[in-house]
Amino acid sequence: MFRSFSDKKSPRKSFRLKPPFTRHAISILICAACMLCATLASFLYQHIVPDNHANVALFYILALVIIARWTVGYGYGIACTLFSVIAINYLFTYPYYKLNFTLTGYPITFLLMSGITLILCTMTSHMTIQSEMIAEREKRLAEAEMEKMRANLLRAISHDLRTPLTGIIGNSSLFLESQNDLSSTEQRTIMTNIYEDSNWLLNMVENLLSVTRIQGDSLSINTTEEPVEEVVGEALEKLKKRYPDAAIRVRIPEEFLMIPMDAVLIEQVTINLLENAIVHSGSILPIDFIVEDHPEHVSFIVRDYGKGLSEEKLQNLFETGTYNNSRSSDSRKGMGIGLSICKTIITAHHGTLSGRNHADGAEFCFTLPKAEALASEK
Amino acid sequence: MNKIKVLLIEDDRSISNFITATMDREGYKIMHALNGREGLSLSTSFCPNVILLDLGLPDMDGLDVLQKLRSWSDVPVIIISARTKEQEKVSALDLGADDYITKPFGTGELMARIRTSLRHSHAQAPGHVYKALDLEIDFEKRLIRLRGEEIHLTQIEYQLLTLLAENSGRVLTYSYIMNAIWGPYMDNNNQILRVNMANIRRKLEQNPAQPQYVFTEIGVGYRMRENENGGTV
Repeated sequence: MFRSFSDKKSPRKSFRLKPPFTRHAISILICAACMLCATLASFLYQHIVPDNHANVALFYILALVIIARWTVGYGYGIACTLFSVIAINYLFTYPYYKLNFTLTGYPITFLLMSGITLILCTMTSHMTIQSEMIAEREKRLAEAEMEKMRANLLRAISHDLRTPLTGIIGNSSLFLESQNDLSSTEQRTIMTNIYEDSNWLLNMVENLLSVTRIQGDSLSINTTEEPVEEVVGEALEKLKKRYPDAAIRVRIPEEFLMIPMDAVLIEQVTINLLENAIVHSGSILPIDFIVEDHPEHVSFIVRDYGKGLSEEKLQNLFETGTYNNSRSSDSRKGMGIGLSICKTIITAHHGTLSGRNHADGAEFCFTLPKAEALASEK
Repeated sequence: MNKIKVLLIEDDRSISNFITATMDREGYKIMHALNGREGLSLSTSFCPNVILLDLGLPDMDGLDVLQKLRSWSDVPVIIISARTKEQEKVSALDLGADDYITKPFGTGELMARIRTSLRHSHAQAPGHVYKALDLEIDFEKRLIRLRGEEIHLTQIEYQLLTLLAENSGRVLTYSYIMNAIWGPYMDNNNQILRVNMANIRRKLEQNPAQPQYVFTEIGVGYRMRENENGGTV
C-alpha cells in the first residue's frame, strides 16, 4: 500500500479553483479583451468586405464562445451577448451609429446568440463542477488509503507490542510468585529477560513516535540542514548502548556534508537497519555501514555478511502486516514494522530505500537528496 | 557525615521509586516533591546540592519552576525530559539548567549526570589539565596533545575545544557556544559552528562518524567526554 505513494516523483497535481476575486477579475479581463477584439476585427472586416453582416455576427459569436468557456457562471456571457447585439446594431448595421431594433430578423439574431451563449455557459459550469467532484473524490480516496495504512500499522504494531509485554509480565509474575525458590542465576535470567524485552518495547515506541512526526496526507516533515557525520555518530552511539558487542565498520566521505533532514527520523532509520542486520543476519561478522557522496544525493549502505534475505522477504520487504512464516529464534522481533516505517520516513524525505542480496549477505541502501537537488525539483 | 542532598521533583511513582532507591544506595540523602510548588518550597528549606526536575509536572510548567529556582539559586539542576522534545531541552538549558537526562534512562546514566553536575558546581581553577583517553589539554600552557603528539588548532577551534573541555561531561547548547565564542550578535544560523566542529573532529577523532571525545546531541548541542582528572565528589 505504500507503493502508490512512494513511486510517484512529484505530488499529485490536484484541481484547485483560484479564489473568487481572482476568477472574477480574470473573467472581466477576458470579456473586455474579447469584445474589443471582435469589434476591431469587425471594423477591419467591414473595411475590406462591406455588407457581409453574417461574418460580423460570427466574429462576435466567436468572442462569445471564448467568453462562455473561460468566464465564471452565466452573468458575463449574458452581459456580453447583450453588448454584442447592441454593438452589431449600432456599429455594423444600417443605419450606422444608430440603434434600430425594428429591422427584420433582429430578434431572431438576438435569440440565437443568446441561445449559443447560454448553452456554452452551461457546459462550462458543468465542466467545473465535474472537475471539483473528481478532485473531492481523489482527496477522499487518498484519505481512505492513509487511514487504511494507519489501521494496518496500528494492528501490526499492537501485535508486535504484545509479544515483549507477555515476556515482561510473565517473567515478573514468576519472580513475584516464586522469588524464594529461585536460584540467583535464575533470578538474574528473569531480570535480564525483562530488561531486554523492555528495551525492545522502547524501540517499538520510538518507531511509533517517528510515524507521528510525519504529518498527515502529504507525508510532510520538518527538515533542517544537519551534518551527516553527526547524525550517523549519534545513531551509532544509541545503537552501541543496546548492542555493545556489535561490530560495525563505518566509512564516511572526507568532505563535510550537510543535508536537509529530520535528524531524529533519519537516526531511527539508521538504527532500524543496523539493528536488523545485527539481529537477523544470523552472523556475528562485522557489519559495514558506508556513506557515499554523490552529486545529487548521499547514499547510506548497510551491508551484512549473514544469511541474506529469503525470496519471500524480498517480495514484500517494506509492507506492513505480512509476516514471514519461517520461525527463527528471533522471528518474534519482526523485521516488518521497522522496515515499513523506514520506507515511510525516507519517502517523506524524497529519498529512496531498497534492499537486496549481495554475494555474501543482505544489503540495504537508502538515499537522501541534497539541498540543491531538492531546490531544483521545486 | 555530610551526605550529598538531592531534591527530586517528580510526580510519577515508579520513576521516583527507583531514583530514590538508587540515591540511597549511593549514599545520598534524597527528598522527593510531587509537584512544582512543593519542589520550590523544599528547595529553600532542604537546600539540596543538586535538583532533579521533571518537566512534565502536574501543577506548573517545569520551565517555570526552573526560572523561579534560578532567580535566587545557582544549585545544579538536571531536567528529566522526554525523547523527542529537543526544543524543550534547549529552552531549559538556555534558562539555566545544567544538564538533561532523557526518559527512559538507566541508573548508570543518571549517576553519571549527577556526578558531573556536582563536579562543575565547584568552581574550577583554570590551571587544570584535561585528560581523556589519548587526549590531553593543558589550559595554562595552551597545549593540545593527542597520543603524545602536539596537534595544531586554529584560534576558533582552540577556543571551542577548551570551552567544551572546561565543561566536560555537560551538554552545551548551540546558542550557548555561539554566544561564548562569537558573541551575542551572530544570527541564528549555526552553520559556522557545525563546520568548525567538523574540522575539530577530523583533527582529533580516528573516525569522525564514531567520535570518542566530542559527542553530538542533535538538536541540542555538544558534549565532551568527561575529564579523567576531575576532582572526586
